[in-house]
Amino acid sequence: MAKAKALDLKGVGKQVLKFGEQLDADETEAYVVSNRVLTIRLVNNAVFEAKGVHDIGVGLRVLKNGGLGFSSTADFSSNSLKKSVQAALDASKARKLPFKYSFPSPAKLPKVLGSYDTRLAKLPGDKAVELAYDMIEESLAHSRKVVDNAGVLNVVEFHNVVMNSHGLATKDDGTFFEASLTATAKEGSKSSEGSDATAGRSLKELKPKEIGKKAAGMAVDGLKAKLLKEGTYEVILDPEPAVNVSRYISMLCSSMIAKLYYPLFLDKLGKQVASKQLTVVDNPLMTGGLDSAPADEEGAPSKKVTLLEKGVLRNFVYDSFYGAMEKKRSTSSGIRASMGVGVSAFPGKNYNGEPVPVPRNSYIVPGKWKQDETIEDTKDGLLAQRFHYTRLTNPTRGDFTSVLRMGLYRVEKGEVVGAIQKSRIIDNLLDILKNVNAVSDKLVIAGSWGSYAHTPVIRTKAHVAPV
Amino acid sequence: MQEDLALLATEQARKLGADYADARLETHYNESITIANGKVQRAVINQKRGIGVRTLVKGAWGFQSTTNLSRAGVKGAVSTAFRIAKASSKHVSKPVKLASTKGHRDSYAVAVKTDLEDVAFEEKLKTMMKWEKNLHTSKAVVRGLIEYTGIKIDKLFVNSEGANIGFANSLAWAELKADAKKGELTQSYDRDVGHSGGYEIFKKEDMEKIAREVGKKADSLLKAQPAKEDKNVQVILNPNYVALLCHEIVGHPSEADRVLGREAAWAGTTWWAGKIGQKIGSEYFTVYDDPTVPGTLGFYRYDDEGVKAERKFLAEKGVLKMHMHSRETAAEFRVEPNAGMRAITYEYIPLIRMSNTFFAEGDWKYEEMIEETKRGILVVDMRHPSIDDKRYNWTISAKEGYEIKDGELTTHLRDVQLTSTAPAFFKSLDAASKKAEILPLPGCGKGDPMQALYVGNGGPHLRGVANILGVK
Repeated sequence: MAKAKALDLKGVGKQVLKFGEQLDADETEAYVVSNRVLTIRLVNNAVFEAKGVHDIGVGLRVLKNGGLGFSSTADFSSNSLKKSVQAALDASKARKLPFKYSFPSPAKLPKVLGSYDTRLAKLPGDKAVELAYDMIEESLAHSRKVVDNAGVLNVVEFHNVVMNSHGLATKDDGTFFEASLTATAKEGSKSSEGSDATAGRSLKELKPKEIGKKAAGMAVDGLKAKLLKEGTYEVILDPEPAVNVSRYISMLCSSMIAKLYYPLFLDKLGKQVASKQLTVVDNPLMTGGLDSAPADEEGAPSKKVTLLEKGVLRNFVYDSFYGAMEKKRSTSSGIRASMGVGVSAFPGKNYNGEPVPVPRNSYIVPGKWKQDETIEDTKDGLLAQRFHYTRLTNPTRGDFTSVLRMGLYRVEKGEVVGAIQKSRIIDNLLDILKNVNAVSDKLVIAGSWGSYAHTPVIRTKAHVAPV
Repeated sequence: MQEDLALLATEQARKLGADYADARLETHYNESITIANGKVQRAVINQKRGIGVRTLVKGAWGFQSTTNLSRAGVKGAVSTAFRIAKASSKHVSKPVKLASTKGHRDSYAVAVKTDLEDVAFEEKLKTMMKWEKNLHTSKAVVRGLIEYTGIKIDKLFVNSEGANIGFANSLAWAELKADAKKGELTQSYDRDVGHSGGYEIFKKEDMEKIAREVGKKADSLLKAQPAKEDKNVQVILNPNYVALLCHEIVGHPSEADRVLGREAAWAGTTWWAGKIGQKIGSEYFTVYDDPTVPGTLGFYRYDDEGVKAERKFLAEKGVLKMHMHSRETAAEFRVEPNAGMRAITYEYIPLIRMSNTFFAEGDWKYEEMIEETKRGILVVDMRHPSIDDKRYNWTISAKEGYEIKDGELTTHLRDVQLTSTAPAFFKSLDAASKKAEILPLPGCGKGDPMQALYVGNGGPHLRGVANILGVK
């Protein structure tokens, strides 16, 4: 991964600031990124494709006469950088801000551990292929009933610097991986799927054989699945579905997303929006947190923010821009998300967009329940291990649905009694949050398709129907 | 475009021993603007250029992209693509074979009247502020939102078989959205306007009028009645709703990589694998995928493997006819490749994607479809989908609906959400109107890493049977 000559990201940032000064910008900011992504895709029990990307670029903002402009370029030649600064200045003429705004000032940054692993950064491509293939081997070895496997291993190394004309200069170097496998088992005319997925910031966290074993186990269990009777059940959400729910909480707590897209928590600050069992924090200081970093992506020092406290909405998160717009202090939550169609959105850092306020490393705070107790305490319920295609089908009302594609089990009298065929949750997200009645005591990493986070297991009530 | 660099990539791959190689050398210009409630939320200009190199070595794919457009940078990318393909070849169960295609040499461009970069950013912002203002048709409209995207791509595709194709693409679209609120009830409405072409579409369309219509629609939904749970309801779907339905339960399952289980990890598979030639729907189940329609978001003449595009008949009068193919899947199915491969930028390996996928027009007048429905619901405009992994069971919400009683539209409905299974719904189709539309659908997601692409989808008004979900 890291064999190429290191780029002088700071040098690029300095050039941008110099051109800002030369072209008379009042303030200039540069966010310079280098991403290396290696993807090994597994299909039909084999390695299907291996692909690498070295993505570099700079997102730059300027302030001039009360106007804000943004542009980005992947071309680090002086000519291109100067042209980009000019493009941002031109854009700033058109975008006068109706409020006072300045880029963040330099500040002392906290130390954050466990976000860069040299072994992962230097993982050779052929070794990554072998590790990815280990998932398949283990899955096939688990049972003869497993007939097919598909999955992916993404290995990411990124470096970024933020510099602005106030003298702010921060840097972040990180690594992470995402690994997943979906196994298919067959017996006679029956077929069933199982999957496992995880992520981490160091190579030692990558345990491909465990992934293969869990995926295969779930697939084989599903061969005996029975049809569910439609109804409202207590549903234990294992880590992957719990991450789906906590991701929605996270989005609802973004000052921008709440205002523009998902207004379910708007005007609810200080109000009970979820069960008292639910406390949710955004903690980018967490050691080994998947999105932990010393600063946000406009250089403001990372801080822990409580989003929900015993179900009461305590905070929306802000970056400097949305904070200024709404006369709130930044919660150091500026990230450069890819917001566009046709724009690259790799795992790693993105320079294509302006900062937007989004919780960076949020999770449901562990409760008092042992994971086993959530099952032992359930008389008539379901254990859901995977969500698929989770959507708010009506974001203004909270209509919520997800396909329980695999890994669904019936729980009766405190015991898991057998697998259930594919079903669908159809309920309201606010009700699902209000009905949470147990939160387990440990955080684990789970997720799917580019969205991973720490989470405990939670239990709620929801309407579930077979599909 | 530095053609020599693209040629260098394929030559270098050949020298290293690749069985096949292609390269996409691209320059991108993207601009996007978001305005909400009179304030510019985001205004972004992105520019990038680079090359993506794909190599086939002993039956395995390798891919590497780079923005380092020096000869050494391109050679380095080729070397990596070759090396990881070679490493992968040890774990290939079935070596990749490519269906043959002509090495086309061509150059073409989307027709543009007003280049996106010829309209000052300042003018765009001022114009879009006016659109946003027009969304606020009453005090009930509490949020207005404009999201604009403009894209220009200059692409050169070359491969080791002699193909050399230049394509200058240009696309522009805008979403206009209004949220209206009364007490605890919030209702929203939105509309997309877009095409492949330049900025001229926003001069051709009366955007301020469209904005007022969107605002009024959101407001009117506050007075609409919630749809009630019901089974086996006759539904007439308007072309906008059909667009999303077609996208989710016809387009995606038609992708041959999905059929072969190659998207099983996340996106899923398809229930109709192995059913080519079988009748799975009524005579009104006729669906095309056609990249050659000028002015649509899915327009192209050659795909990202250099295969010449043509109309694909996915289903005809209820019979499943073909899948969308890459050269590789075409070889597996022993059919001709049909130009289904696209990547959003040079940084990504191409995937089988929809272009413009739409239901064929029928033989009914829309008015007759309503008149001949005794009891049912007219379902108007897509909202959000949730589809199972085999694209069998689907749930798609709509922005609004109208009850149909004795052939007339009556009660205005909000919170309409339909569910059914693909085969049951395809078989239930008993009418399609004479006029089909292809609408812009920007934001089709596929792949890992995810590629969000722009496509066209649509069809005529369709009548079938589905269940209405009751929502809390």
